[in-house]
Amino acid sequence: MIAMSLRRLGWMVLTLWVVFTISFFLMRAVPNGPLSSERNLSPEIERLMAKRFNLDKTPFEQYRMELGNILSGDLGHSFRLNDFTVAEVIEQGLPISLSLGSLALAFALTLGLIAGVTSAVFRGTRWDTGFMLLATTGIALPNFVIAGICILVFVFFFSWFPAAGWGSWQHMVLPAFCLGLPYAASISRISRTSMLDVLSEDYIRTARAKGVGPTRVVMVHALRSALLPVVSYLGPAVAGILTGSLVIERVFAIPGLGTHFVEAAIQGDYTLAMGMVLLYTVLLYSMNWLVDLSYAFLNPRISAHS
Amino acid sequence: MSRSRLFFGLLALALILSLGWAFSGNQMPPADFTFVNNSEIKGVDPAKVNGSPEGNIVRALFEGLTRWHPETLEPIPGIAERWEISDDGLVYTFHLREDAKWSDGSLVTAGDMVYSLRRFLGPRTIAEYAYLGWCIKNARRYSLASSSLKVGDLVEVEANLPVDAINTLRGELVHGKLVEIEELGNDEKAFVVEHDGKQTRYLAADDADAIKQEPPADSRWCRQVLLDFREVGIEEIDSRTLRITLESPTAYFLKLVGYYPFAPVQQRCVEKYGSPGWTKQENIVSNGAFTLGFRRIRDRIRLIKSDTYWNRENVRLNIVDALAIEARTTAVNLYMTDEVDWIISVPTPSLKVMLKADPPRNDLKPAPFLGVYYYMLNTTRKPLDDLRVRRALSLALDREEITSILLAAGEVPALSLVPPGITGYQAQETEVHDTQAKNVARAQELLAEAGFPKGQGFPRLDILYNTDEAHQSIAELIRKQWQRELGISIKTRSEEWAACQSSQQQMRYNVARRAWIGDYTDPNTFLDMFVTGGDQNNTGWGNPDYDRLIREAALETDPQKRMRLFEEAERLLMEELPIVPIYFYVSKNMVKPYVRGFYNNLQDVHPLSNIWIDRESKSNEFTNPGIGKPANNKLELAKEQP
Repeated sequence: MIAMSLRRLGWMVLTLWVVFTISFFLMRAVPNGPLSSERNLSPEIERLMAKRFNLDKTPFEQYRMELGNILSGDLGHSFRLNDFTVAEVIEQGLPISLSLGSLALAFALTLGLIAGVTSAVFRGTRWDTGFMLLATTGIALPNFVIAGICILVFVFFFSWFPAAGWGSWQHMVLPAFCLGLPYAASISRISRTSMLDVLSEDYIRTARAKGVGPTRVVMVHALRSALLPVVSYLGPAVAGILTGSLVIERVFAIPGLGTHFVEAAIQGDYTLAMGMVLLYTVLLYSMNWLVDLSYAFLNPRISAHS
Repeated sequence: MSRSRLFFGLLALALILSLGWAFSGNQMPPADFTFVNNSEIKGVDPAKVNGSPEGNIVRALFEGLTRWHPETLEPIPGIAERWEISDDGLVYTFHLREDAKWSDGSLVTAGDMVYSLRRFLGPRTIAEYAYLGWCIKNARRYSLASSSLKVGDLVEVEANLPVDAINTLRGELVHGKLVEIEELGNDEKAFVVEHDGKQTRYLAADDADAIKQEPPADSRWCRQVLLDFREVGIEEIDSRTLRITLESPTAYFLKLVGYYPFAPVQQRCVEKYGSPGWTKQENIVSNGAFTLGFRRIRDRIRLIKSDTYWNRENVRLNIVDALAIEARTTAVNLYMTDEVDWIISVPTPSLKVMLKADPPRNDLKPAPFLGVYYYMLNTTRKPLDDLRVRRALSLALDREEITSILLAAGEVPALSLVPPGITGYQAQETEVHDTQAKNVARAQELLAEAGFPKGQGFPRLDILYNTDEAHQSIAELIRKQWQRELGISIKTRSEEWAACQSSQQQMRYNVARRAWIGDYTDPNTFLDMFVTGGDQNNTGWGNPDYDRLIREAALETDPQKRMRLFEEAERLLMEELPIVPIYFYVSKNMVKPYVRGFYNNLQDVHPLSNIWIDRESKSNEFTNPGIGKPANNKLELAKEQP
């Protein structure tokens, strides 16, 4: 397992370099740069600005300088958020994005598993149809629509939660719920399918024959195996939750990283955009690695070497 | 089994830990006043920002020589308690208050002002607003650095510093006389400067290069060669007196020095922490009504009332939160649930509903301000080089249709470039007739005279706009109007902001959308854009008479005559129509009825130091400007001293 992790680390470094290189040249290929402003600047000022940000050098020279900075651990200053370094932006936003993401994931897992297991166990009943109908709707609806409905109901009608903002647990509930809901829907469908497969296996029949109670059969014997596909879905789910939080962050005014990720690219904030791209690469890479590890951990039949 | 239990145990633990991490140390007392400040600001360094969200924060943190009256926007004493103006309108002598203090308790001195204005104008600061300071004598030449130098000028040569020096420090200065400029090609120049009877040849180099390489023989490296700052009309008479000499009498100068880019910053703080380190809340020293309390990117900026501000007894808010929220619907949601007290703009669909409310809402009152939305015509291209075509395009435009169908807040159809409302100025309107049918008939005639009867043979034109839904629907409607009335074929084209801007600068367009918000309440902020070759004039149009009128207005000391000159210039502009005005902006603030001291005004600028909360109040200055005057807030208009 250690050998695998080391190999993964090597690949991650390579991936980071490739991602950095491609993003670097893509960013500079679009007309929007860090210097574009609301008004036309006099050519002298423009020249000085270009010099300040090293944009008067050749792209290759800029690339060499940037790469050097990043290798020495310096992500630089944000071009657009003048008062902050990229590291500070990440330091402020990452905990917020991570906690929102974790809560969304917790919602997704809890709601998804309950719905999936219930539908599998009560297959063909009204429960099954109802949950699966909800799940299909949940996958089909984009999360800003869900957010709009939730705000109408829980903010304006019931006044249970604040409309937007960040600072207390009440602020987290709605956004995490809206962010997690589409994933809950997917998880419920995956867990239903795998649960149905497992429930028809021989060892479940054996367990039943031995007189194990129905709850114990489902919650212990069957669930353990049925969880494996859900765990492997967690990798893409975490990726989606982390990168897909933009809309939810905007609607609920949450100071996480999702907005920076998109805004930095749109506004031509070269340094911040590079920082975000690298951060997301590392995050996604390590999430996938964690999922693989836990997969091996949960299912001893799978060797970490394969 | 124990494995899966362990796995889910770990998962739960990770969740709890990350929640704890997010909420640690996050207990803040509620603010007295909370408002939505739209986008995240670029920074709080007065010299380096522009844009109205930045303005709201910087104005609260820093105070210039004058302030603006919250309703009339007339200049009122700020850190300068009084001033004298010479008879020719060129020399301003400002007397600073004895009690104008920095937030660290030290005095704000004339030296601080000189330092700050030099920094604002200095080319290495890269202040986008520096051009506003160019009305000061020689300031333009100072800002433009070596490109403005001539042989014989008195210059200052700034020496290089070590690479790791604090980035706001200046290198040692050598003052001398420029005796020769050698063109080295490739934009490089060498400067020979005579100092103490000795001539030295200077070459500009980055600090890093200056250390790495030896300079060529007989030469020395320097950071830059500038016009000697002592030639610029800014001087410290004594620690409380500042004298500013202008290029030409600038009627709005007192107003200008109250604009936030002209605010002082503290040299000690800036040079100790460097930029942007000095703007961190633990480092920043400011001199305004508020200090910087807390800042979280894309969340909020908390402002705390300053206990060193000279007028602190009249500042009635103790804690103000400015939220950075870009989604306008979210802002409305927060306003409706009483989480915020002021929002700057309301999305059009909500606005339409709210303006129809019966009885009318007591917290919404759109009002015109100095902003104009217009189309530029590329007068270097056929057939737009023909005045008759440009006039036909303007006449065929049904501006009423645009404002009534597409815009919700009562935007005003624009027939001039300068919006109404500037005291003493009568905006000059372009040609229109009393009915739209007559306009169209005249437009068709003009087009026929230009050689395109019923639009025949008229080349296809495109309308360029920066990608945005509102601009798109306006462009589409105008396309329909022109096609319908003139029989010409039009298409629309959108580009992202930067691409759109560079297309305009390089004149790769036929018709392009633009807008301008006045920097100060004077026709000059609109009209000086269209002088021949002006930075914002991307129409290819130029008229020596127009240039002369703008120049004469700049030199005119009689305010009446000055306005007449501007009127004449605008009349010329509206006859020749290198631009077609479309509509004037209106402000779209929503302000709770208990917020007092908040006025609609011409620049949609609302100083926080004048606002207070009165929970009993059912009506306020915002919707009912006539209600009682605010208690003594030192708002008396400045009395000119003899």
